[in-house]
Amino acid sequence: MIEFTLNGKRVQTDAASDTPLVWVIRDEFGLKGTKFGCGVAMCGACTVHIDGNAIRSCSYPVSLAKDKNVNTIESFNNAHPLQSAWVEEQVPQCGYCQSGQIMQAATLLDRNPNPSDQDIVNHMSTNYCRCMAYARIKKAIKRAATSSVQYFDPTASSEGENA
Amino acid sequence: MSMKNISQEKKDMINLSRRSFMVGSVKTSLFMAFGAAAIPSLLSAKESIEAKQFSPNIWFEMDTDGNVTVNIAKAEMGQHIGTPIARILADELECDWEKVSIVHVDTDPKWGYMITGGSWSIFHTYKPISQAGAAGRMVLIDAGAKLLGVPADSCKAEKGFVISGNKKISYGDIVANGKVDKTFSADELAELPIKPGKKRHLIGVNADYKALDIPPKTNGTAVYGIDVEVENMLYARPILPPTRYGSTVTNVDDSKAKSLPGYKGYKVLTDPSGTIEGWVTVLATDYPTAIKAVDLVKVSYNAGKTANVSEADIQKEGERIVRDRKEGTVFVDEGNIELAQTKAAQTIEALYTTATANHFQLEPLNAIAEFKGGKWHIHTGNQWQSLTLPTVAKAAEVPESDVVLHQYYLGGGFGRRLFGDWVVPALLTAKAAGQPVKLVFMRPDDTLFDQPRSASTSLFNASFDENNQFLGMEHALAAGWPTLKMAPGFLAPGVNGEGKVDMFSASGADHWYTMSHHRARAVNNKVAQDTFTPGWLRSVGQGWIVWGLESFIDEVAMKANKDPVDFRLAMLDGKGKQGGKAPESVGGATRLANTLEILKKKTASVELGADEGIGYSVSAGQERTMPAWLATAAHVHVNKRTGKITVKKLWVVSDAGIVIHPDGAMAQLEGSLLWGLSLALFEHNEVKNGQVSKTNLHTYLPLRMNDVPEMDIELVESEEFPVGLGEPGVIGVAPAIGNAVYQAIGVRLRHLPMLAQHVTAALKA
Repeated sequence: MIEFTLNGKRVQTDAASDTPLVWVIRDEFGLKGTKFGCGVAMCGACTVHIDGNAIRSCSYPVSLAKDKNVNTIESFNNAHPLQSAWVEEQVPQCGYCQSGQIMQAATLLDRNPNPSDQDIVNHMSTNYCRCMAYARIKKAIKRAATSSVQYFDPTASSEGENA
Repeated sequence: MSMKNISQEKKDMINLSRRSFMVGSVKTSLFMAFGAAAIPSLLSAKESIEAKQFSPNIWFEMDTDGNVTVNIAKAEMGQHIGTPIARILADELECDWEKVSIVHVDTDPKWGYMITGGSWSIFHTYKPISQAGAAGRMVLIDAGAKLLGVPADSCKAEKGFVISGNKKISYGDIVANGKVDKTFSADELAELPIKPGKKRHLIGVNADYKALDIPPKTNGTAVYGIDVEVENMLYARPILPPTRYGSTVTNVDDSKAKSLPGYKGYKVLTDPSGTIEGWVTVLATDYPTAIKAVDLVKVSYNAGKTANVSEADIQKEGERIVRDRKEGTVFVDEGNIELAQTKAAQTIEALYTTATANHFQLEPLNAIAEFKGGKWHIHTGNQWQSLTLPTVAKAAEVPESDVVLHQYYLGGGFGRRLFGDWVVPALLTAKAAGQPVKLVFMRPDDTLFDQPRSASTSLFNASFDENNQFLGMEHALAAGWPTLKMAPGFLAPGVNGEGKVDMFSASGADHWYTMSHHRARAVNNKVAQDTFTPGWLRSVGQGWIVWGLESFIDEVAMKANKDPVDFRLAMLDGKGKQGGKAPESVGGATRLANTLEILKKKTASVELGADEGIGYSVSAGQERTMPAWLATAAHVHVNKRTGKITVKKLWVVSDAGIVIHPDGAMAQLEGSLLWGLSLALFEHNEVKNGQVSKTNLHTYLPLRMNDVPEMDIELVESEEFPVGLGEPGVIGVAPAIGNAVYQAIGVRLRHLPMLAQHVTAALKA
C-alpha cells in the first residue's frame, strides 16, 4: 500500500511498487489528462508535478511518490494563466503533448516569472511536440509570463491593472 | 465497402455534391442533410430525415433557439477541421457564429465514405458545404417571409435573422413555427450559386477566429483513443515478430510470466485478413503488468525471408531499377527525351536518395475491441475508416455491417492513422479472449509496426546543347509504394494506359515547369515493399521527390549559368498544360511564379555572413489536381569544421486560393515547415536486419524547440478555389536548405537527411 497526495487529495494504491506512476494516475485514479508517449522520459507527454518539480511520470515508480504531493493538469482547474495563453495563441494542434507542455512550462514560470527566449528554449526542449507547434508554445509562455506580472504604472487610470 | 465502392465514393466527393439535399422540420429541430443519392427518394425531406435515409457524412441541425450543430465526419488530428467546415456553412447559412457548435461523429458503414488525409478536407467540402448553407438559407428565407407576411424577394438573411425592411424574425422562431419540408435534387443544388471569396465575411485571409477544439486540448479533457475504457476489459500488449511479413510462431514459453499478479496469459493470433503474421499478445488485468509480461514471455519464430534486409539492400535495388528503363511506369512523357539526349552536346546526371523515416505520432497505437449486441465495437482514432473497416470485418469474419468504429481525437495522424492495421490484433485478441480488450503499443512496438516513409532513390539526367541551353530532363524515382500495399484500387494508369503507378509515390515529378522534353518514370522498390508496409507520411511522395527535383533544378541552373530563381521563373510560364484548370488550378504555373517573385523581393536585402547562403525551391503539393502554390527559402550557416548546418530562417509564400481559416493555415504551415526541416536535417531510421534500427526518442531525434529557426510565412490573398494546406509546407524545405548549403560553401548534398558527416566528407572530397 502506497499513500500519496494527488491533486490535493490523499490517495492509496495497491499497485506494485515499480509501477510507473503514469498508469496509476490514468488507469487507477482515472485522470486521463496526463498522457503516455515514449515510456523513457524523452517526450514529456506524461509530465506531472511532484512536490513542485516537473517529473516524467512514465519513468517514475509509484513507490517514490510515497507521501509526496503529485499534481496533474487537472489540478489547475482550467484556471492557470498558461491555459488561457494556450487558447489565446491557439497553441495545440493534435493536443496530445499539451498537458505535458503546460506542466513543464508551469515550473519555469514558478521559478522564473519573466523568462527570456533562451530560458524558455532551455526549459522546454525536453518536451516533444510532433505537430511541431513550438513557435506558439514559446509565444504562449511569453504571453502568460507577461500577463501574470504586475507592476506599478503611474500613468494608469486605475489601480492594479495589468500591463 | 469494397475498394471499387471506395474509389467511386472518392470520385463522387471530388465531383462534389452528386447528392440531393433535404431541409426538413423534425420534432423541434430543423435538419439539413445530404440525401443518400443524387435522385431524391419518393419520401419528402421530412420523411427521409425521420427514416434516417440520408448520408450523415454531412448534416446540420438547428434548434428553436437558433443553435446550429454541425456534424463532422472528419478525423480531428490537429488541423481543427471542424471549425472551418462550420465557418463555410455559417457564412452561407447566415446564422449566428456564436451559436454554432461541432460534433465529431462516430462511424458506421451505412454512412459511406470516410477519410481524412491527402490535405483534401477543405478542397472536397468547400463547394458542397457552401451549397448546403445556401440551400438552408433560401429555405429559411422562404419560411421566414411567409411568417412575416412579406414576399421572399424582399428579404435578406443576416446573423440568424430573416429581415424585410423593418420587420424581422429569428431563425429559431422560424424553426419553432415553420413547417419546412424541401428537397433539392443534386442538379438543383449544383445550380445554386455560392458566394465569391470577396463576399464572404466569416472566412478569408482576413477572418480572425478561434478553433472550437482547442480549449479541451489545454486542460486534459480532450478524449483520445488511449483514454477510452469499457467495462470488464483486459489490457494487452503485442509481442512483434522479427519481420513485418512471413514470420511464424514456433513456440511460446510464458513460465516466467505466470508468477506476475494480474497476468492473464497470451494469445497466438491467426489473422484471416492477412494483415499480421506471427503475432503474440499478452493479456493482463492492468497495463503495467502487460508491459512486464512481454519481457518475460519467450517466443520462438521461423523468421520471414526479409530478416536480413538492410537499408543498403534497399538502396542498391533502388539504384538498379532507376537505371533500368524497362522497370516501372512512365507517367509523364513530354516531347522526345531520347531524341533530346541523342542531340545533346552535354548531359549531367545526379542520384538523390533519402533514408527511411518514421511517423512518431505521439499517441502510441491503441484500440479497444468489444463484441456487444451482435456487433464488434472498435474504439480508436482513425483517419480512413472506409479502408480500415473492411479489413477489420475480414479479420473478425463478420459482415462489414457488424463492425462499428467509434471515433476519438487522434494524438497525431500524419498518415499513420489512415489504414488502421493496429485494430486487427486488438480484435483478434478480444475474440480469442472472449472479453473486451484494450491493446496498447509501447513506443518500440509502435515504431517497429510503423508504416515508414520508404527509403527512396531518384535519378536525374539533364541535356544541354552546345551553348549550355537546357533541353530536357529524364527523371526516374523508386521507393516502396504505400498505395500498392494498402489501397491498390487507387493505383493510376501510366502514359497511354500502360502500367500502374502509385501517384502518392510519384506526384511532384509531374511538375509545373515548361520543358520541351521531360520524362518521369516511377518504379516500385520491391525490396522495400517486401520488408515493411510503406507509409503515407505527411507530404508523402512529394516530400522526397521534390527534394531531388528542386535540388537538381538548381544544378541545371548552375550548369546553364543562370541564377536559380530567374531560371525557375523563366520555366514557370504557364504555357500549354502548365496553364492550369478550373476550378482547382486556375492560373497554373503563373501563380507559382508569382509566389516566387514575392519571395525573391522579400529576401533581396538579406545580409549573409561568412559560410552562409540562401536557397530557394517551389512546390505545388499535394497533387496537380489540387496544388497549393508555395515558394520556400532557407537561410543557412554551415560550420565547415564540424559540418553542422544551422537553419537561421525559413520563408514561405503560399497561394492556396481562398484561405478558410487563416490562423489554422498559419499553424499548419508553421508545423509543416518544421517537419520539412526535421526530415531534412534530423530524421532517419535505417533498416537493419529487416526492421528499423531506432525504436524510441532517445535515438530517433526529430526537431525540438532549440532547433526552431525564425519563420516568415505569407498567405497570398486570392479569390481562387481553396486547396489543402496540411502537408504542402513540408515539401520545399529540404531542397531550399540543400540549395542554400551549396550557395554557402559550394557543396552539393544529395542524401536526406543532410548530416554533418556528409558536409565534412564532401568538403574533403
